[in-house]
Amino acid sequence: MASAAQSPATSGPSTGSGGETQHRSLPGGGEVLTRLIALREGSIIVVTLITAIYFAANTSSFFTGANFETLLPYFAPFAILAAGEVFVMILGEIDLSIGALYLFAPILFYKLYSSAGLGLVPGVIVTLLVCMAVGALNGFFVAIVEINSFVTTLATLFCFEGLALIVSHGTPVATPGAAVHTTEVAVNHVINGHTITLHEKVNHIGTFAKIFGGGTYSELIWAVAIVLILQVVLTFTRWGLYTVAIGSNKLGASEAGVQVKLVMIRNYVLCALTAALVGLFEAVRSGTVQPDPAGANEILFLAVAAGVIGGTLLTGGSGTIVGALIGALFLGVLEDGLVLQGVNANYKLFYLGLAIIVAMTANVYVGRVRRGHAGSG
Amino acid sequence: MADAPPPETAVVGPSSAPDDVLRVEHIAKRFGPVTALKDVNLHLKKGEVLGLLGDNGAGKSTLIKILCGFQKPDSGKMFLHGKPFEPKSVDDARDAGIETVYQDLALIDELSVYHNLFLRKERVHRPIPLLSNRQMKREARTALDEIGINIPRIDVAVARLSGGQRQAIAVARTVNSDADIILLDEPLAAMGAKEGAMILDLVARLKDEGRVSIIMILHNYVHVLQACDRVSMIQDGAIALDKPTAETSVEELTDIVVNEYRRARMEAHEAEAAAPPASA
Repeated sequence: MASAAQSPATSGPSTGSGGETQHRSLPGGGEVLTRLIALREGSIIVVTLITAIYFAANTSSFFTGANFETLLPYFAPFAILAAGEVFVMILGEIDLSIGALYLFAPILFYKLYSSAGLGLVPGVIVTLLVCMAVGALNGFFVAIVEINSFVTTLATLFCFEGLALIVSHGTPVATPGAAVHTTEVAVNHVINGHTITLHEKVNHIGTFAKIFGGGTYSELIWAVAIVLILQVVLTFTRWGLYTVAIGSNKLGASEAGVQVKLVMIRNYVLCALTAALVGLFEAVRSGTVQPDPAGANEILFLAVAAGVIGGTLLTGGSGTIVGALIGALFLGVLEDGLVLQGVNANYKLFYLGLAIIVAMTANVYVGRVRRGHAGSG
Repeated sequence: MADAPPPETAVVGPSSAPDDVLRVEHIAKRFGPVTALKDVNLHLKKGEVLGLLGDNGAGKSTLIKILCGFQKPDSGKMFLHGKPFEPKSVDDARDAGIETVYQDLALIDELSVYHNLFLRKERVHRPIPLLSNRQMKREARTALDEIGINIPRIDVAVARLSGGQRQAIAVARTVNSDADIILLDEPLAAMGAKEGAMILDLVARLKDEGRVSIIMILHNYVHVLQACDRVSMIQDGAIALDKPTAETSVEELTDIVVNEYRRARMEAHEAEAAAPPASA
């Protein structure tokens, strides 16, 4: 913490207001806490930790390896979706169409595989390219036609969810490449000195499925890799600098010579790409391409929530990808914890909403402490 | 001076000097029904500081935005170092050596001082183009020291700085470049007397160096006479006066503006009187 605060070289545009602190003395306990909070992601880290401790104290199975595996699908997809969404949110815009692309991508992939006869990998590549084109279309309408981004992406949300239903006829299908093969293996057991050979069934999935979301840690690895890469892009590249610049002062950025429209379109393309990736991962993981717009809409809202909870402003000019990952983790811990506590499924959304309000209030309060601390430096 | 003949709204025609770095002829610009610039002729000599005057809405900022490539003129010609100059973008004009400090301060509040100084001129590592923040910070510190601007911390967001410090950084951004023409749009707006003096000193120092030529929009006539070599006044979308500051005075400049205001009011009054009375 101390080294992060004292080496301003690591503070890029996204952590600009965190800034350099002037304290050079060794930090005490209270100071460590203040420094943690001084990070943009600090408040949500604290809130997530408190939530996890609460569930660990109230349920016996929260801190177990098995539960960690259960937790993964609750948060890894949202972390990836939110990472793309944050790039749009920093611009001061929003992309609602990620719900539609999440739904549409696996259906398109299925059609390319089953009807067009493309292979698995070419199918994935074409699917991603088509979804990126949809992102470019969003960007075109927002940046060049200058339609409000909420309206534009609401329209593409409806269009592509509709298209997903039209193409799939509303029928679920098995995800290509995600088929589970069962093989029988002979396993020798030694019991009381006797060797008994039992035939046991073992489930396998192909390498494609293992990589694209099917493997236990596949989505987690993708999520961490994507979050790290995009955080570096945001903090240490021109692209990230211009994204923050546009969100903070669009006219100013434009007058300084930043290609505002190009950057905006690029961010929408990125956001569409992450949505399509998560759509494919989830289809491969579950083995089914499910044309369910209601579920997709919930995922869209949770992804936006993860970004906002993580410390990205809906008004633009400021945001963090790592924060969005932790925001997604918070949502995952909450959902998983409520299930473990045996909360009635009907109450789940209610508690989720309540928890978001409480977490955001804590976030605002802690944020004030953070700014106060940074301002005094 | 009350006896001085009321100057008619003259329009200064194209003029030039052999050492012109920038020449503008018959520039016009409309925004829908509004004519911002009718017929502007302007020239700027090497090392010269030209003060651009004019009332609100006279077209000063529009002219600056055309010169720096942010907007395109509807008609007219521009010449840079004697060659035709048609900037397609801000980058284009900047590559040609024209840098601008805007009235609305193109600073990015959320970015640090040094990121603002280097926006669109970022220093990056090779071969992977990651931002070289350390190098930018070092160069920013040197540049600010060289032009005598005192900013205690350059890694804070510019939102935390005072109006004068922000303006100083905006000016420093242009001075720090390789520009040979600098356009300053109301550099003294939102500034205390001390901070204003800092900017005027900076302009004086640049003038002494003689490397850059400056066009500066100002409102305060005292500042114009103090800091500029020559003054051009825009009225009604055209240049109404173009004189060396040594040959003019605060009184003359004020008279032109006041007379223009009286003439416009008289015309409006006459038009009203000539119009048939509205029926009850």
